Amino acid sequence: MPRRGGWRLPSAICQLASFMVCDLCSCIVDDADAGRAKGGFMMRRLLVGDPDRAARAVTDAKDVSRSVWVWDLPTRLFHWFLVGAVLVALITELIAPAWWLSWHVAAGYTIAALLLFRLVWGLFGSGYSRLASFSYRPRQVVDYLRQLLKLRPPHYIGHNPAGAAMIFALFAVLTGLVVTGFIVQGGQEKQGPFAGVAGFAFGNNVRGIHNFLAYLLMAMVAAHVAGVLADGRLHKSSIIRAMITGWKRVPAHLSVQASRPPRILAAVVVLAALFVPAVGALILLARMPPLGVPAMIPDQVWAKECGACHYAFHPSLLPRASWAALMADLHDHFGEDASLPPAAAAEVAAFLQAYAAEGWDTKAARLLSNVAPTDPLRITAAPFWIRRHRRIAPAIFAAPTVKAKSNCVACHRDADSGRFDAQAIVLPDPAPSGASP
Amino acid sequence: MRSLPSILSLALVAIAGVAVAGTVNPARDAILASFAATAKLVDPAFTGFSAERGHAFWTAAHTGGKPDTPSCTSCHTPDPMAEGQTRAGKQIAPMAVSKTPDRFTDSAKVEKWFGRNCNSVLGRDCTATEKGDVITYLAGK
Repeated sequence: MPRRGGWRLPSAICQLASFMVCDLCSCIVDDADAGRAKGGFMMRRLLVGDPDRAARAVTDAKDVSRSVWVWDLPTRLFHWFLVGAVLVALITELIAPAWWLSWHVAAGYTIAALLLFRLVWGLFGSGYSRLASFSYRPRQVVDYLRQLLKLRPPHYIGHNPAGAAMIFALFAVLTGLVVTGFIVQGGQEKQGPFAGVAGFAFGNNVRGIHNFLAYLLMAMVAAHVAGVLADGRLHKSSIIRAMITGWKRVPAHLSVQASRPPRILAAVVVLAALFVPAVGALILLARMPPLGVPAMIPDQVWAKECGACHYAFHPSLLPRASWAALMADLHDHFGEDASLPPAAAAEVAAFLQAYAAEGWDTKAARLLSNVAPTDPLRITAAPFWIRRHRRIAPAIFAAPTVKAKSNCVACHRDADSGRFDAQAIVLPDPAPSGASP
Repeated sequence: MRSLPSILSLALVAIAGVAVAGTVNPARDAILASFAATAKLVDPAFTGFSAERGHAFWTAAHTGGKPDTPSCTSCHTPDPMAEGQTRAGKQIAPMAVSKTPDRFTDSAKVEKWFGRNCNSVLGRDCTATEKGDVITYLAGK
């Protein structure tokens, strides 16, 4: 086949249109096709596989390769939306600050919906989109990999056995990431559908699995991309373009699967039958009160007396023993005299004991109750506090609206509730340089 | 001889003037009177509180207290009309009575805060004269 000198303009526009305008036109990426179908546009039914597409897969002049329509629009959209959602999930967790958590969660919901869709489309989609079309026996995968090692992998029109195995593995890992993500969100953050079901300790343990799966996913994505690039090298074809346009260049001698149009109505019905109960169950679960978050009526004396000098620390931020020791010596309260009349001190002490960390399953309570052995009264000395604030610049703490590390509420807008949601963090402008903290 | 209406109007002007100055408040007067009685008891030569002495005490750098808070102004700022800020970052309403009219009208609150802050700034209780001077200074602000 003569090497094409880049995309000709009509073809490029057509390809772009094909991708963006819902497959209303299909593109002729092949020189021979272009000669046959003048203008390069052919109308095709929306989303529907063309029953004649196998016949229309045209050989080129030298009968060496031809273009075959492989990936239908839903499959291609699924692929690129999944790429986007996974990228958002990775970036929001690895790079973005904590208060982007909602975007991470939204990416998780998107991935869940995409997986569900792909499963259904894998049953009712057009030919090469069906799971059955790329379900190979382990033996075939091994054979393929062996050929690949000899750099002579056989040609496949849809997924090759190794690629197919990767698709199923990616589905499994992504499903695991979604499920563990929900549990971490519910148990640790006390947010989302599992807040009323998963305890903190459970969520914290599952977080380890979630992290492991995330790193595994990154490795698998790297292997997937490497496989795609290797395939392009070894077969002199771009399967990346195939995932954009739907058309793939394959050797002429390969037989094309019998055309199989998608069963759109069946797909829609089954999708709805799965989505509606799933969404309903999530909504019902999300309405459960979060586990281990007691309803606390703030004590008036506590709010007034403690709040006179500093953010009135939520009782859940220290364990009972620390509160008891702290209230026993208000005369020397972190270097200040904070003495109270005995009646007021007794009321505050009783309130702090009643709602101390032991009674809460929130992240702040569970992690801060591990106090610093040498400084058990100082919340900002707790190992978790130090670890979690290590990247906050000193200029932030020195900002006029903050002034002290103990001024939780300056950044944690929900500090009064004891929740300390990631989304409630608003960092102030840092203090001008040279200002003393 | 002045007519009755002119005497009345003079009285009204005087009351209004004092009220604007913010110094007339029975509760605050009672607190000051109590400090004055104690001061007289300690020092028979005591003749009255002085806003000038209160001002000097307010701005002075004291010793004997906590190193972070050598002066009233450490938290309250040198300007009584301005908002202060505690070491933990909490805003403090201005101490000047013209800005915060209910200052020094609750005896228990006055005792609580002089008790705490004199200990933090001077490392001792303040004398009745010192407290009365500071209140007189801030009541005139």
